[in-house]
Amino acid sequence: MTRNADGSRTETSGNSRRTFLKAGGAAGAASLVGLSGYVGEVTAQNPTLNVLTWEEYGDPELLNPIQETVGVNLKITKSTSSAKMFSSWNAGQYQQYDIAIPNNNYVPKMMNADLLAPVNQDVVTHQSNIYDTFQGFADNQFTSDGQMYGVPIRFGWYGYSYDSREIPEHEPTYEILFNEEFEGVDLSGEIIMYDNHFKAMSGAALHLGMRDAFEGQRVTLSEDQIQEVKQTMIDQKPLLQGYIAADPTYIKSFRQGNFLVGQSGRNEIVEMWDNGDDWPEMAVPQEGALAWFESAVVSKASNNKQKAWEVINEYISPQRGAKLAEVGYSPSVNPATQEHLTEEQNELYGSVDPAKLESFIPFKAVENERSWIEAWEEIKVA
Amino acid sequence: MATETSERSRSARERFVGAFTSRASRLGITTGPALIWLFLLLLTPLTFMVAVSFTSVDTFTYQIIWEPTVENYNQLFAGEGPFWQTAFFQSLALSYFIAAVTTVLCLVLAFPLAYLLARKGGTTFKVVIFLVLLPFFTMYLVRAYSWFLMFGPSGVINSTLLRLGVVNGPVGLFNYGVPAIIIGLTHAYFPYMLLSLYASLDGLDFSLIEAARDLGASRTAALKDIILPLVLPGIISGSLFVFVPSLGAFITPRFLGQGKVLMIGQLIEERINSLYAIGYGSAASMFIVLSIVVAFAVAFRYVSIEDLGGV
Repeated sequence: MTRNADGSRTETSGNSRRTFLKAGGAAGAASLVGLSGYVGEVTAQNPTLNVLTWEEYGDPELLNPIQETVGVNLKITKSTSSAKMFSSWNAGQYQQYDIAIPNNNYVPKMMNADLLAPVNQDVVTHQSNIYDTFQGFADNQFTSDGQMYGVPIRFGWYGYSYDSREIPEHEPTYEILFNEEFEGVDLSGEIIMYDNHFKAMSGAALHLGMRDAFEGQRVTLSEDQIQEVKQTMIDQKPLLQGYIAADPTYIKSFRQGNFLVGQSGRNEIVEMWDNGDDWPEMAVPQEGALAWFESAVVSKASNNKQKAWEVINEYISPQRGAKLAEVGYSPSVNPATQEHLTEEQNELYGSVDPAKLESFIPFKAVENERSWIEAWEEIKVA
Repeated sequence: MATETSERSRSARERFVGAFTSRASRLGITTGPALIWLFLLLLTPLTFMVAVSFTSVDTFTYQIIWEPTVENYNQLFAGEGPFWQTAFFQSLALSYFIAAVTTVLCLVLAFPLAYLLARKGGTTFKVVIFLVLLPFFTMYLVRAYSWFLMFGPSGVINSTLLRLGVVNGPVGLFNYGVPAIIIGLTHAYFPYMLLSLYASLDGLDFSLIEAARDLGASRTAALKDIILPLVLPGIISGSLFVFVPSLGAFITPRFLGQGKVLMIGQLIEERINSLYAIGYGSAASMFIVLSIVVAFAVAFRYVSIEDLGGV
């Protein structure tokens, strides 16, 4: 019992017990949410959307404003590979997630597996502002029966990076990844390749002058070409320090001095520049470079499709798209994001000329992927 | 009336207690939860895996085609050359090699320590066991990553050796690859071997060794003829605890192989993630399951299941 200012009395013991139980329950729920890897602020009345995506999308500076604007709670599950996103969704997890953001070449696979809901064009209003190049890619790769199934979000490209303290400036070429000596530098045991069959074998194929195979809707290496790529990569293996998949591992190993040159994405090197390393150089090989772009998809089993598309629309909005570019060191597909970045940020990653992308080879589906995988396994065990 | 009610309630209580004290009930209560657990989390998934290994996946829609086929098993050993040149066989053989060397290394390192602990006991035992188990209070992933920093041409080991002037350049042994994986796995599974051996050695009657020595047996003969036969169950159980998880190891080879080594777990993961070839993955997994079954069958030829507990 407590006495009020007007002299009346109020029953408080039950109340405080309830308050205590409520607080306890809230604390328990909050800790459970914390244990499950929830990122962001929980709001009970808003629906929760489960998102399977890359680490940067979980940055609170990006997440919280989106949650507030759309009125949702976003539960981000971080993934390190588009292949894992696809296999987990195909194994049934598409019922658990609302959104996934794989690389573009996995969207057609998800479409074929009948996992996706078509884009709600009325909601994704910022899509009309994205670079024409990506609009074209989306039309070509993600459209079936007049319906689009993926929304491009951000992009980048793969070439190679090198330690400019040891390797002199040169004409960018894949030769550097396949030779023991380059420009007078001994590269034996100093080379890194990407730990991914598509990226690594494509690099080798371009090195061997098989650019024609990358021109169509799909990559069409013949069996003989796959065997040639395989043999080249087996011959290359003694020169390798190893194969690396994750960006942070690449950066740590590069800084540690474990290798001098490696097949890499530009965003990894931009991150190093941004953190004060001025010695790594990024090169785009004259034989061709692969360009990736992430694309958001919504599960056909989602109960909150409208909200999911609203969230995706935010990812390419000028303000949030700029924040995403900032945390991931990769440009947004929406050029309007540049207005929300500093001059330095634009120079580093914000304002990449899309015309540059015209000369790149976008990630695309592979014909006879089983042969690629078999060759890749033989390279690994050689 | 009151007596009648009391008798009725006592009889109900006896019936209730009786229901739990019958042989069948006791068996159900003690083994039931474990059997349910094994059925749901071991037998059911295993049966599903066997079933899936005999199916195929539509390469366009990625859906399982529930029609029996042995194609996945054929694929495992299909290739241009003989079967031992296939990626699957080579990966499996490499996994066996790594698991076997790890097991032997754990045994060789753990045996003297376990022997010492069994003989000394007391505080020494507690301190040593605490020190051995201390790193295991951290996550497996963190420990694997710490080994990642130790190895490599510019890793902690090579850098230290270079700074001390012991070597002129990075030592290949301390680069990423098979040796690094073996060391990482040995570190990971060492306690299982140590505790199994200790459990066996702790029950050993050391007066038998003294008697053998008094009768003129050399140290080697005492070890070979007295100690080893008596602690064989501990050696076998410890070896199983190390060999089985090492064979299917995934995290450690991923960190310490730097992509140049393909153990069987990684090969299966690659196939499933890239092609959604769960039939192939299941068929390949069957070989790991079979290996484990064979390892246990061999173990049971030499020791009984009670002995494997180390008592």
